[in-house]
Amino acid sequence: MTILTHARHGFAAATLLGLGLAVSTPSQALPIDECIAPADPGGGWDFTCRSVGKLLLDLELVDSPVQVTNMPGGVGAVAFANVAGNRSDDSDLIVATSTVGMTQIAQGKYPGDADTMRWLAMLGTDVGVILVDDESEYESLDQLLDTMVNDPDSLAMAGSSGAGGWDHIRALMLAKKAGMPADQISSVRWVQFDGGGPAVTQMMGGHVDVVSTDLGEIAGFIESGDVRVLAVLSDEPLPEPFAGLPTAVSQGYDVTGYNWRGFYTGGDVSDEDYSAMVETLATLYESDEWKDVAQQNGLVPLWRGGEAFNDFVRESIGDVEEISREIGVME
Amino acid sequence: MDILAYLAQGFVVATEPQHLMLALIGCALGTLIGALPGLGPVNGVALMIPLTFNFSLSPTAALILLVSIYYGCMYGGRISSILLNIPGDEPAMMTTLDGYPMALKGRGGEALGLSGVASFVGATVATIGLTLFAPLLVGFAIRFGPAEYFALFMLAFATIGGVTSGSLSKSFVAACLGLLLGTVGIDAVSSVPRFTFGWFEIYDGIDFIVALVGLFAISECLVFLEDIRHSNKPTMKLGSAIPGMRTAWRCVPTITRSSFVGFIAGVLPGAGAALGSFLSYTLEKRWLGRRGDFGNGDPRGVAAPEAGNNAAAGGALIPMLSLGIPGSGTTAILLALLLSMNITPGPLLFQQQPEMVWGLVAALFIGNLMLLVLNIPLVGLFARVLRAPGWFLMPMVVMVAFVGVYSLSNSAFDLYMMLGFGVLGYVLRKLEIPTVPVVLGLLLGGQMEYNLRRAMAISGGDWDILWNSGISVGIYAFAITLISAGLVYGWLVRQRRINAG
Amino acid sequence: MSEPDFFTVRVSGVIGDRIAGAVLLALAVFAWWYSYTFTTGFMQPVGPGEFPRLVSVPLGAFSLYLILRPGLNQRWPHRAALLRQAGALLLLGVYAAFLEPWGFLPASLIALILLIRLFGADWKPSLVCGVILTLGLYLLFEFALGMPLPDMPGLNW
Repeated sequence: MTILTHARHGFAAATLLGLGLAVSTPSQALPIDECIAPADPGGGWDFTCRSVGKLLLDLELVDSPVQVTNMPGGVGAVAFANVAGNRSDDSDLIVATSTVGMTQIAQGKYPGDADTMRWLAMLGTDVGVILVDDESEYESLDQLLDTMVNDPDSLAMAGSSGAGGWDHIRALMLAKKAGMPADQISSVRWVQFDGGGPAVTQMMGGHVDVVSTDLGEIAGFIESGDVRVLAVLSDEPLPEPFAGLPTAVSQGYDVTGYNWRGFYTGGDVSDEDYSAMVETLATLYESDEWKDVAQQNGLVPLWRGGEAFNDFVRESIGDVEEISREIGVME
Repeated sequence: MDILAYLAQGFVVATEPQHLMLALIGCALGTLIGALPGLGPVNGVALMIPLTFNFSLSPTAALILLVSIYYGCMYGGRISSILLNIPGDEPAMMTTLDGYPMALKGRGGEALGLSGVASFVGATVATIGLTLFAPLLVGFAIRFGPAEYFALFMLAFATIGGVTSGSLSKSFVAACLGLLLGTVGIDAVSSVPRFTFGWFEIYDGIDFIVALVGLFAISECLVFLEDIRHSNKPTMKLGSAIPGMRTAWRCVPTITRSSFVGFIAGVLPGAGAALGSFLSYTLEKRWLGRRGDFGNGDPRGVAAPEAGNNAAAGGALIPMLSLGIPGSGTTAILLALLLSMNITPGPLLFQQQPEMVWGLVAALFIGNLMLLVLNIPLVGLFARVLRAPGWFLMPMVVMVAFVGVYSLSNSAFDLYMMLGFGVLGYVLRKLEIPTVPVVLGLLLGGQMEYNLRRAMAISGGDWDILWNSGISVGIYAFAITLISAGLVYGWLVRQRRINAG
Repeated sequence: MSEPDFFTVRVSGVIGDRIAGAVLLALAVFAWWYSYTFTTGFMQPVGPGEFPRLVSVPLGAFSLYLILRPGLNQRWPHRAALLRQAGALLLLGVYAAFLEPWGFLPASLIALILLIRLFGADWKPSLVCGVILTLGLYLLFEFALGMPLPDMPGLNW
């Protein structure tokens, strides 16, 4: 199928050959030569683009390096708008996204809905964690949630999403399970930082009390013992080296909060290009190299691709919309 | 004395022939990229990343190459500031203020030589600081919360009157204009578009590179065009590249103070090299007061920002390596490179990857020395550039600026915006409103606003948080002292003039 | 050495400063007024409109001061200079528009020749230097720095 599209490019080029000058040889590369990370370098989306881009080259799924373009702004809204407006049929382009981006769509913060784009695949998932400083007075999740419910004014929480974003929602879901009444939700202060790392260092400096964010970005702080993990928001305990961390479920709060990492492409990409891209990503997912990279960065490899992923995204958007209304983020 | 043993081992790593070669290439290329207006360290480092993959360099080798480019850019940026009055990149902006007047007086060579030495000292101080005090400084940096950052930015803008010798109120007007321009685009907290009027192109805000190149390079061209016959007359002499002993000696205290100020600014994530050079210049100007002749070609006005920005560039590596938090756009890209090589900077990096970290530190020392040595023969080359007639030089600068800005977003829109800023810069010049504060406002406004809003989110809307910590009170007190000292001094001068006249 | 031209001739800024002050004051008032249209989001003690308002107050105050106490200006350009400047801006604007559809080489060649001419060189040096500069910059960016420039339509360079 890809050969077909390249033949078309070749034809277009050949028609211009009349000038009698050298012409770009139709490349043999599979589609995907650029990855947009809708954030500044260093965060999760940037990591997704860079690691996947590098692996695509290492595994010889592409024959020149995948260019990573950082396009920060509006938690992905700028990149979303750009792709929707200018590059909706660019079959060489993938855009990194995650649960965080999907939450923005669910809450109507992107200029468009899920149908604006074609959803390619998710390759793995990060897990939410609730952290305090290693010298904090909070020793357990029970203790923290008790304060949240009974003395919400005394806490300042932080994370990498805005108020009402995914990091915030995950923490609020826990508080709700602990019995926090809905009208008290906005009493717990929420502070947004540029990423999980800055949030954790600000907590170490004593400027905020609790951090809710993804494990991957701040794994180093857990390993060095600078922070104390009160809860991991996964169904099962994590693999080593994080096996000792307690899950919220094991402490009696049935809350999970994953943050999957995946990609979308423009809404006008043809079916054949779309399936070729999904196939490329599937090959990458199957490789041992991806499993290694994922594990080293605190991600659990997890595959959903093509139409299955499309359905999953729509379903999740419905769920988040519901939670957002319940908590009062929307309307 | 673990540190010395590690450092010795680092030098073994850094002096491998391949690493030395890469450092040399990095330094030379960095100087070139830094000197070209519109291209700065961010471009330089970003451009090199695919290259490191293509040659499958080891993480240590890749990092040495990129850091050499980073330091090289810091050196290179000053060249066009001094010779053309057009900063090569944003930290070199302050160097135009005294570097260009020096060049006009025929002391361009001296300015280049002096700034090279100042850069070297600044960078070396920062590297020593990085070697000895990294853990200590990390402890200091995390005490800076949102309220303290806000105070720091307030200090920067309170001293903005010190940028030029012109009218104080005009400097403040310019700073406010810059801050207001900085709010254009989608608000990162609430995702609300501000002052975008439906233009998708500015959703991500006004890029300060576009503003910088427009305000300086394009407006310089417009000034040139006022009287081409006069402008094309080759009037400038470069002079000796070796600063005289007396000049150099007078700059020693300045360089020492500025290295320190710049280094501290660099260590604080989010402040960056531009703030480092800015604070070094304005604080030094205040410090010297009447003893200095800043704005009219005082050599210390060249030494201060150059020592400051290079020290800040080195200092910024500390939070990047030991906390995983980038202190500037360039360190953000270095961080991205490390991440994509499966090295996660953070509190454990120094323990887990001592070879890489200390190899890097050693490479910084070597790179610094290389840049200093490289720069002395290069002054002769720059002399030749200057002897080129203006009708050749200026169109070349414009073209480089166009390509540099175009490469940011690959859209013609940024180019039109750059021309718009060129006209704005020209008009502001004619009005004697300084353009430096406009760029600073644009550059720092976002961080200033978000730290204010974070502080308010922490306090739940209570403004008291802004002056509730010892650090912020200290910074405000310092700012007030500086301003009142300036006012009292101005009043004294006026009194004396009245008495004399 | 001729007279150092950083001691540029200064003229009274009564008109210039007052016009600039009025424009900036209008901008400050507009920013204040317009910032009320920014909706404050969920749980934000300080909304998106607050900072623009905080900035527009000193902007307005200092512009007012500029109107009341105008300072000095540099000498404004004469008509011949103004025409040349407008020509350069127009040329660069057109160049920006043609850069992508035409590709870097032809667009830059034409723009550079005209620009050098505008900066006061004769035709002959303009042509020679235009060609040299275009090729030099192309080689520098495309090969030495590895920054892709817009290609000519249908061609790879």
